[in-house]
Amino acid sequence: MTIRQKSASAILVLMVLFVLSAFGLLAFRKGTFDVLAVLCGVILSVFCVFEYNMLKLAFKHIDRFVLLAAMFLWCMGLIVLYRMNPETAVKQFVMLLAGTIGMIITMIFIRRSGDFGKWNWIFMVVTLALLASTLVFSRSVYGAKNWLDLGFFTFQPSELAKILFIVVSSYFLATRSTIRSFVPYMCFTAGCVIMLVVARDLGAGLLFCGTFLIMFYTATGRIWLTLAGLGVLGVGAVGSYHLFSHVKLRVEVWQDPWSRYNNEGYQIVQGLIALASGGLLGTGLGLGMPQKIPASHTDYIFAVISEEFGLIVSIAIMIFYLVFIVRGIIIALNARSTFDALLVFGCTAMLALQSFIIIAGVIKLIPLTGITLPFISYGGSSILSSMIMLGVIQGVAVKNGKADEKQLEFMGGRME
Amino acid sequence: MNHQNQGLRDKKKFRRNMRISLGIFIGLFTVLIVYLGYSVIVYGERWFATPYNPRIQHSTAIAGDIMDSSGIRLAWTEDKKRHYHPEKDVRRAISHVVGDSGGFSMGAETIFAKQLCGVDKDIFSRINDAVSGGSSIGSNITLTIDSALSEYIYDNMNARDGSVVILNYRTGEIIASVSIPTFDPEELLSGEPPEESSLVDRATMGKYPPGSTMKIVTASAALKANIDISYTCKALEVIEGQRITCVKKHGKNDLKGAFAKSCNTYFAMLSLELGGDKLSEAAQDFGFNTDFNFSDINLYASSFENSLNKGDIAWAGIGQYKDLITPMHTAMISGAVANGGVMMEPRLLKKVGNESETQPKEYAQVMDSGAADKLKEYMLEVVNSGTGTSAKLGIKGVSMYGKTGTAEFTEDGKIKNHSWFTGFVDDESHPYAIAVIYEGAGFGSKQAAPSAAKFMKKALEG
Repeated sequence: MTIRQKSASAILVLMVLFVLSAFGLLAFRKGTFDVLAVLCGVILSVFCVFEYNMLKLAFKHIDRFVLLAAMFLWCMGLIVLYRMNPETAVKQFVMLLAGTIGMIITMIFIRRSGDFGKWNWIFMVVTLALLASTLVFSRSVYGAKNWLDLGFFTFQPSELAKILFIVVSSYFLATRSTIRSFVPYMCFTAGCVIMLVVARDLGAGLLFCGTFLIMFYTATGRIWLTLAGLGVLGVGAVGSYHLFSHVKLRVEVWQDPWSRYNNEGYQIVQGLIALASGGLLGTGLGLGMPQKIPASHTDYIFAVISEEFGLIVSIAIMIFYLVFIVRGIIIALNARSTFDALLVFGCTAMLALQSFIIIAGVIKLIPLTGITLPFISYGGSSILSSMIMLGVIQGVAVKNGKADEKQLEFMGGRME
Repeated sequence: MNHQNQGLRDKKKFRRNMRISLGIFIGLFTVLIVYLGYSVIVYGERWFATPYNPRIQHSTAIAGDIMDSSGIRLAWTEDKKRHYHPEKDVRRAISHVVGDSGGFSMGAETIFAKQLCGVDKDIFSRINDAVSGGSSIGSNITLTIDSALSEYIYDNMNARDGSVVILNYRTGEIIASVSIPTFDPEELLSGEPPEESSLVDRATMGKYPPGSTMKIVTASAALKANIDISYTCKALEVIEGQRITCVKKHGKNDLKGAFAKSCNTYFAMLSLELGGDKLSEAAQDFGFNTDFNFSDINLYASSFENSLNKGDIAWAGIGQYKDLITPMHTAMISGAVANGGVMMEPRLLKKVGNESETQPKEYAQVMDSGAADKLKEYMLEVVNSGTGTSAKLGIKGVSMYGKTGTAEFTEDGKIKNHSWFTGFVDDESHPYAIAVIYEGAGFGSKQAAPSAAKFMKKALEG
């Protein structure tokens, strides 16, 4: 018996064509020929082809669809970033290279995921320390204290904390079963969320809560306890609406951004106008006005893409996230150990919720909370953490593949 | 062995839960996709056409001409500059409807910017424009308004703050819509600061207490519920401590008589008889508390609030309490009475370029035609022998139907009255409905009603 893995090279070819034509278009946009744009397009294409093939060679069982979905998303991000400011695109590309290294290292580490449990208490302390550090040493950006300035490099500790949070959650949920044994874990989660809310990083707080609830439900199957948790989240949300003026303001701006156009509502209104200007097919790359939207390269990048590429591509992006999520869950389903399954499930869930929260905020489905769009938004810490999560998913995929292969060999088949 | 079975069962449950979670994620993203598609398709036009949209002001296209219904040029581009009608009074009369190219006000310049600047062109011709570097030329548009009539109205409002709207109730076309204080787009664009609150179009954005004009809605609710009480007015009625008064004792009346004399105490008692829910329902039917989302005008929502307090309900039934309405909506309500209960969507855009004319759109059947006929009879009585006699046209074969209103409001601690009149004429070649409001000017019968007759006569000449 032979199992042949499906080839995804055709998708890769289409993607390279997309990247090259986008950068080609960008090269001509100012009347003069921009050599840097073409160079960037070529480098990015070569990088994608090279990375895809190298990873395929080095890790035979890597999940190609997850990889390609992530690749499409970051190519989309780099195109739009280059269109807004070539400098940020170059910086982002450098971080992407670092992220790729991070991903490969993670894939190697995941082989020994069974040992993570020994480090669990240390992980917990580090997570809390990371989140606490922002409260103590941070400077405030856009009303949220979530950046740490290390002099040479600023980073968002909550991004790193996200990964550790998944590791800690997976360990607890894989090894404990009684309610009492979950108490330290619940306290830990509450501590994380409270610190994020105090730091005014509401988006991350919501993300941690959501990830916790869905992981808890999946691992334990305790539907009532999960609903109770959801209830606590609801009470907390209503409570913070009444307690904190900044939360109240967010909700009011969400309800009617137009009447607060001159101050708090400006960003949402400009975002909606950008969505409307794009329409179905978009204005065309380079023909929109992203400079009018605050945070257009980070939180609001989805609005920029919608304006220039239209509804069709925005929906395509959401479908790429869905492909990523579906493949992620399939990998989790195939995982041999509960811990690995939970790791992959946690990473997938977190990326899914993160993209949902920010897209829903931009399109005014829910109140806006500032978090990045995974793989697309500009931001070193963000791309690094997304890539590490991708590494977790791929690492487990490789482990699954090896186990499958062993089973097949045992039965006298092989895998190509 | 038992332990292992337990483990297997857990694993099965775990895998099932993962699939359920996957379903949740797919559900969440489906909601995103549907909501995004829905909101861009339904609200996209409105979001785009706001004065806040920098794309409109920065358009490299040469904007097309704006013309009135008889083809008079109201705005055009020459030497890369936007020009407006040569006469200052005309410019001021139509400024809220036409708007300005600087994005200060919410007129046709903004609402139809897509057509005027050619942003509605498809992506290929736009890329072509961008590559060739030349500026594209937008379409010319024709509006439904009559600029001469608008100027006449503006001149004869005698600088009183307020608004006048004339609609064609069969087609929804806006024939005139004037709002004072007003601005001159030429002066505005040259950098002169506008008069205070002059950029607000009172016709579509001014929310006023409707006063007795609300009795049209209350009477329609009574007709629907088949309630006609007989009541003797003693000029005062105290309901849960709230004093409802009439200017004089109207004596014993039925619905028709009370409507013609605009008896407050009668309508207060009628409202209580109907109850808050029925009143609310009627207001809802007439378009209160709804987001209109019309394509041609940015019409603010009118509001009606129910209450548990009987005094509040009595006030709400005579157009006070928390009732608020725009002059445009008031004209739409009169129009619906004239049009057999069918309210038309107000339209401002007659045509784009050489394309065929836009088609009338029904907003809703707000009452059945039987009730509409009854109300017509009542509204004729108002002008023939009731509070609206000063709105008589004095033209043979054409009668004015209407309702006056005197709406109380408090300003700087003093009680003042908005002067309202709304109505229509039964002229098949000029099926016009009208709404007139003068802010703080006093009785509707004294100020708004005679003006309405004057403006309507002028409109019928055209």
